[in-house]
Amino acid sequence: MSASKTHPVTNVLVVGVGGQGVIMVSKVLALLCQRQGHEVKQSEVHGMAKRGGAVFSHIRFGKKVHSPTIPTGEADILIALEWAESMRWINQLNPETGTFISDTHKIVPPFACRNRSRNQKAVYSKETPKDVLGKVAQGYALDAVGVAAELGNERAANTILLGVMSTVLDFSVDDWLDVIAKFVPPKSIEINKKAFLYGREWVKEATIPEMNGEVEIEKAAELTNELEIIPAWCKGCDICVRMCPEHCLELDAEQKVVNARPDNCTGCRICEWLCPDFAIKLHKVPVNEKQPDAAMVEA
Amino acid sequence: MNMEPHISAEEFDIRQFMRLDLFPHFLCPGCGHGMALRALMWALWEQNISMDKLAVVCGIGCSGRLGAYIDSNTFHTTHGRPLAYATGLALARPDLHVVVITGDGDCLAIGGNHLIHACRRNVNMTCLMLNNEVYGMTGGQVSPTTSPTRYTTTTPYGNAEPVFDACKLAEAAGAGFVGREVTMQVPTLKDLIKQAFDYDGFSFVEIISDCTEIFGRKNQLGESAEMIMSQKASTRPDSYGTRVDEPFRPNSLPTGVLVKTDRLEYRAHQQSLNPKGQK
Ligand SMILES: Cc1ncc(C[n+]2csc(CCOP(=O)(O)OP(=O)(O)O)c2C)c(N)n1
Ligand code: SF4
Ligand code: SF4
Ligand code: SF4
Ligand SMILES: [Mg+2]
Repeated sequence: MSASKTHPVTNVLVVGVGGQGVIMVSKVLALLCQRQGHEVKQSEVHGMAKRGGAVFSHIRFGKKVHSPTIPTGEADILIALEWAESMRWINQLNPETGTFISDTHKIVPPFACRNRSRNQKAVYSKETPKDVLGKVAQGYALDAVGVAAELGNERAANTILLGVMSTVLDFSVDDWLDVIAKFVPPKSIEINKKAFLYGREWVKEATIPEMNGEVEIEKAAELTNELEIIPAWCKGCDICVRMCPEHCLELDAEQKVVNARPDNCTGCRICEWLCPDFAIKLHKVPVNEKQPDAAMVEA
Repeated sequence: MNMEPHISAEEFDIRQFMRLDLFPHFLCPGCGHGMALRALMWALWEQNISMDKLAVVCGIGCSGRLGAYIDSNTFHTTHGRPLAYATGLALARPDLHVVVITGDGDCLAIGGNHLIHACRRNVNMTCLMLNNEVYGMTGGQVSPTTSPTRYTTTTPYGNAEPVFDACKLAEAAGAGFVGREVTMQVPTLKDLIKQAFDYDGFSFVEIISDCTEIFGRKNQLGESAEMIMSQKASTRPDSYGTRVDEPFRPNSLPTGVLVKTDRLEYRAHQQSLNPKGQK
């Protein structure tokens, strides 16, 4: 690979989401490099793994490696197991010579739904492979999880990416497969071999995958929240007003509660639970049966 | 004003089980007893207990008044004696689910004697004690649970009496199931009450409630929202396990299931002594 000729040390940054196998990918590479006589240093953050958070691992190899972490902008290869993670770390890649490899698979983190109101779009990386691949020295993006599923096991997705990466590093296919076999369960050695070879082959006619920049969030049945307020029972204690996380409720001039911002209501029922006077009842109604809000407020 | 309630029977709607003609109820604005009533009815609904198979026995006080609103078999008894009435009822009608609603004054002061013997006897029933640290109904007199740092109408210079820990008292008297929760945690409280129902024997649940109107105002504890929040902040849920974090939460009250032991229920025990039912 070109990078290893210009630099004495080759830098590989592996990134992904907790539980995806960032550690497996880096172990494979580290062991392979070691077997080939390189000095290898690896450092990782995987504490967030349990929470599905971002995980990364630095692998540096060469004749002599001093520091275990890759200086900013000097990664020769960025290998991302999740699309938004590839975007998060792209600045680490050497802009002139770096190789970008990413799965287009999307894992939408819970905090993507920053706006908790109904019908809000989740916030996710808007960049598509088309936007990115033209801007890096060399870049590959493919739906590895999808392909791996077709091959018979989604978990082999990482091995497909390893196959892609193998084309830019000077190690033999047999050496790769040997090491991979050490890190996957015995019964999936075969499928991982297939996945690895698929990745290598795919590179020859690599295309830029289409990607929809938006993320869809699975929607349950179209229900909407309707607050039934019984003004005659409300004593204006202010509990619901203070406790509604979305600040939907207010007291009117007569100290009766009104739903001032019905569109913000997430249907959490906190107001219903905490009203000591049973003056609020939340109804989840199909969208088309929703009554005009005005009717509810004045009821 | 459109007062036609949209009561649904498919999900929990407390109004299904209330004597709606008595509403709005008589509790003061923000009184925690209302939330406790919701948790009780919710637990009954989730346990699928029919209102015909339920008997609610209440003492005297704002807490005891709650029974009036439940559309079921309800008894408003005498001050401090609901456990005595309930014991008789539960023995005579083992087919009924007997729930006692009582207050801190009702249960620990005038009725303290009945409490210890109910714990000791272990007749199958559930006792919910709504602890608001005060005699709410009669205008805010000191109660056995009033904290020494608080003022009441009968202790205007401060309270010299130490508090009764009702849960420790119940445990010491032999109660097989003891739990505690704050009203604000309505769903958690509901789950605790369900566990208390499931216990075969006498179950005691202390519910930390707030008397905003009298006790809260006298002690400048803020409005209901502040009171329930500070109650919650002063507790330590049992889900914390045995973690020692007292330095962070000094004097925090443990909540959740505090005691659960296997004890033979009173009737079962009685029958085992006289299996042929000889007179
Ligand atoms: C034999 C008797 N003594 C005194 C009273 C007056 N009384 C009515 S309610 C009450 C105290 C209730 O306090 P508590 O049980 O804490 O209920 P809360 O109102 O606080 O819910 C008292 C002393 C009474 N009704 N009967
Ligand atoms: S259900 Fe009630 S508390 Fe929850 S968001 Fe809607 S109005 Fe607010
Ligand atoms: S909690 Fe109930 S009684 Fe209090 S202000 Fe809200 S609706 Fe009214
Ligand atoms: S006096 Fe206190 S306990 Fe009684 S209803 Fe009012 S707030 Fe509740
Ligand atoms: Mg009281």
